[in-house]
Amino acid sequence: MESENIIEMLHITKEFPGIIANDDITLQLRRGEIHALLGENGAGKSTLMSVLFGLYQPEAGVIRKNGQEVKINNPNDATALGIGMVHQHFKLIEVFTVLDNIILGAETTRLGFLQKKEARKRVEEISERYGLKVDLDAKVEDITVGMQQRVEILKMLYRDNEILIFDEPTAVLTPQEIDELMATMRAFAKEGKSILFISHKLNEIMAVADRVTVLRKGKYVGTVETRDTDKQSLSNMMVGRPVQLEVTKAPAQPGETVLHVENFTVPSKGHKRNAVNHVSFEVRAGEIVCIAGIDGNGQTEFVYGLTGLEKSSGGKITLCGHDITHASIRRRGQDLSHIPEDRHKHGMVLDFSLEQNLVLQRFRENEFQHIGFINQSAVRKYAEKLIDQYDVRSGQGPVTTARSMSGGNQQKAIIAREVDRDKPLIVAVQPTRGLDVGAIEYIHSQLVAERDRGKAVLLVSLELEEVMSLSDRILVMYEGEIVGELDPKNTTVQEMGLYMAGAKRKDTGGKEEMGA
Amino acid sequence: MKDFFSRLFKKEGTRSVIASLISIVIGLFVGSLLILIVGSTSKNLSLTTAWEGIRIVLMGIFSTGRDAAGALTWGFNPQSIGNMLFRATPLILTGLSVAVAFKTGLFNIGAPGQYLMGTAVTLVIALSIPSGSMPTIIVWLLAFLGGMLAGALWGAIPGLVKAFLNINEVLACIMTNWIAANLVTWFFDATKIFQNTVENTKSGYIYMTDYGRVMVDGAWTYVKGSGVSTPKMGLDRIFPGSQVNGGILIAVVIAVAVYILMTKTTLGYELKACGSNRHAARYAGVSDRRNIVLSMAIAGGLSGAGAALYYLSGNTEFFWSTYQSLPATGFNGIPVALLAVNNPIAVIFTGIFMSMLNIVGLQLTNLTAYNEYITDVIIATIVYLSAFSLVIKILIGGRKKHKATAETQTAHAQNTDAKNTEQARSALPTEDTVGDKTPEAAGTEEGGERV
Repeated sequence: MESENIIEMLHITKEFPGIIANDDITLQLRRGEIHALLGENGAGKSTLMSVLFGLYQPEAGVIRKNGQEVKINNPNDATALGIGMVHQHFKLIEVFTVLDNIILGAETTRLGFLQKKEARKRVEEISERYGLKVDLDAKVEDITVGMQQRVEILKMLYRDNEILIFDEPTAVLTPQEIDELMATMRAFAKEGKSILFISHKLNEIMAVADRVTVLRKGKYVGTVETRDTDKQSLSNMMVGRPVQLEVTKAPAQPGETVLHVENFTVPSKGHKRNAVNHVSFEVRAGEIVCIAGIDGNGQTEFVYGLTGLEKSSGGKITLCGHDITHASIRRRGQDLSHIPEDRHKHGMVLDFSLEQNLVLQRFRENEFQHIGFINQSAVRKYAEKLIDQYDVRSGQGPVTTARSMSGGNQQKAIIAREVDRDKPLIVAVQPTRGLDVGAIEYIHSQLVAERDRGKAVLLVSLELEEVMSLSDRILVMYEGEIVGELDPKNTTVQEMGLYMAGAKRKDTGGKEEMGA
Repeated sequence: MKDFFSRLFKKEGTRSVIASLISIVIGLFVGSLLILIVGSTSKNLSLTTAWEGIRIVLMGIFSTGRDAAGALTWGFNPQSIGNMLFRATPLILTGLSVAVAFKTGLFNIGAPGQYLMGTAVTLVIALSIPSGSMPTIIVWLLAFLGGMLAGALWGAIPGLVKAFLNINEVLACIMTNWIAANLVTWFFDATKIFQNTVENTKSGYIYMTDYGRVMVDGAWTYVKGSGVSTPKMGLDRIFPGSQVNGGILIAVVIAVAVYILMTKTTLGYELKACGSNRHAARYAGVSDRRNIVLSMAIAGGLSGAGAALYYLSGNTEFFWSTYQSLPATGFNGIPVALLAVNNPIAVIFTGIFMSMLNIVGLQLTNLTAYNEYITDVIIATIVYLSAFSLVIKILIGGRKKHKATAETQTAHAQNTDAKNTEQARSALPTEDTVGDKTPEAAGTEEGGERV
């Protein structure tokens, strides 16, 4: 009997000490469909997929394939059942060639010797059939992230998997690469393969999926057809309350120049080439300027150079009229606040309590210390004020260890701290990374509010939606250079994608350079 | 009442204490087991002697010897307890030294070198100032501060090397340890004047600070009883016949001061921020380099102070030919700190405990057929287990946590999960380092210093 559902996960319950990660969740994947799994961070998406892939054993519930109950004890069982997964963080061996990576674990051998020729022929066939172009002899460390993903997909196809799981596959891709991936996924579905697509990006889900299953806080919310729903109702399902998706903001009213960057250059750690190469621009009070680009094109190094975490090798930075090119981090901190990219590395001391983290830069101020002794009650009062004002949630309030807080609340705490420092320039690097819709909504509204209070905001983001909706001006960074300046009102994601991929560039940077 | 206990149990501190106590109990058990095995398998020994040995291991501090019939006698032994407090003094300070460094993310295995430099400078100052040229309390203070400063400077060297050249402090500490050992030997060998020649029966020792430098017939010489020594502060009346002096009280005061420094001041906040997350500290405008150097200097100063308090007692002498060995007191600061989970107040108690094991070892040697190496086994076991104390803490905390959060259902699975693995992971390196270091510490324990 041929069942309509190729995979059924019925009433799955998975508990961890102290928490039920999956509480009676049912997921039915039809043959030949693209099924999206939507949910906020911690909603239980990854746990559910790990159960399907044999990494966890559920406490209750059954998995059926073609109507037959199956037991998946480890990933090998999953592979045997034709289930393949592209993980969010690729599982490739960097120093191996593409071909070696694809056949690893499923090698064709004769008398114990590798039969690479046969393998190569098969891989070539598959890659041609689906238009997945890869260089089989290149080493994985030398190829682009997009190509690495294609290698992961080829790995699944090489193993004849018929159920393909994609875990947040678009996070690392350019808009063009995303389009290609979507096309590939549709082609797979047409061939009868079934796809599980994990994401929290509503646009992509609406564009490619047939049905969506929504999880919230470990519980099953519902399964809907994408043609019967829209982004707004999906996000309401996901968060559990009406969410505002679009950022509402009045037109910017830029005032005087707060940050002026001229010919700024930061050397790279790994290469001889500069990580940031002769970058010039300015940010004025009352506007949000966004640096867009694909990860690894010098944005991180630029922010390090700007905030003093790394030394620059050329150019000049003027902040509020002072030359801070060679100033100490502390001196720069007098005029800028910095929401760092990596909240665990730079943003917080995870072993400190929340209140200690909230005064990370300010503990030396007279308000919080007296002749070298910390004024504990003042710190507590200040922390309580911020926690209340910015709705930072934690187990034990000010004394909660930062490590035990959820990512969203850690980020909220950092934003509370940085915004409350009340500096003319706010540098926000990927402020919403890894956060759910509710938290993103909140952080966006905070940044807009600060802009409207006359702050200059420099936003560095990899999320195109965020760039388009939040910024007043967009600077696109490619290989350490500003290759274009765009107005979000007069541009499209596609055009921006061309700049981000280096296919198109304006000479704005060069002109300014000559002018200066 | 039940509520009070469950709240107490949830506290991080309570769990640390329980974890340490479990380590100690297991350590004592292993020591006893060893005696039992030796006693029951050896031809010359019997289970009766093993039982005596075990009792000494567990309660040796209250042993008063044997009665006429040869049975062990028990009671308050002022000499043992006084000596225990006396020997705890330097251990508390080297323990603090290691603990402060640990709190700021550094492994100070250089305590022996800092201790030696402190010893040398303290002795030189105390023995150089002519007797009677200034009040003895001033001489005492100068010698104490000199020893502390010497330790601080010696500790600052690995700090500087780490801060500016990014060379691992463990490496630099090990090297400065041996440099100190050779430097001190060379110095006392070359200067000769500090070598004790008054007591002909001994060789290789420096004068005790109890000896004062006096001019006799136009030549400088040393006379017993005219030097400096730490005031007894009445402790000798409580513990007659022991070496105890006011040093233990000074050590306790220093421990409290370190506690206040680390928890109540901006400096402590900065040091801890640098130690927990150097990147975040830098991001916040804290100079990570300055704090690394400062933290190592404070650690070194504490070791130096420990040496000063030990040798300024006036009744301890320094065996100067130390180029082959490093003082065990320095290394034993590591288990003292580990067992105290780096809490300065707890260091007072773990320091006293370690010193008690020391006394117990002596009692074993004196009163039974077993010897003090049993206590080395106990210390080694405890060190191993204190590296596992994080794991023990998770084990005893995990069950409770499960119960607590099941009610509220607020925690996020992935968070708890990540946290646990991270904790487990962070427990592993400690275990590794300790495993690496202990054999070395044990290997260098012979010689070094004699009382």
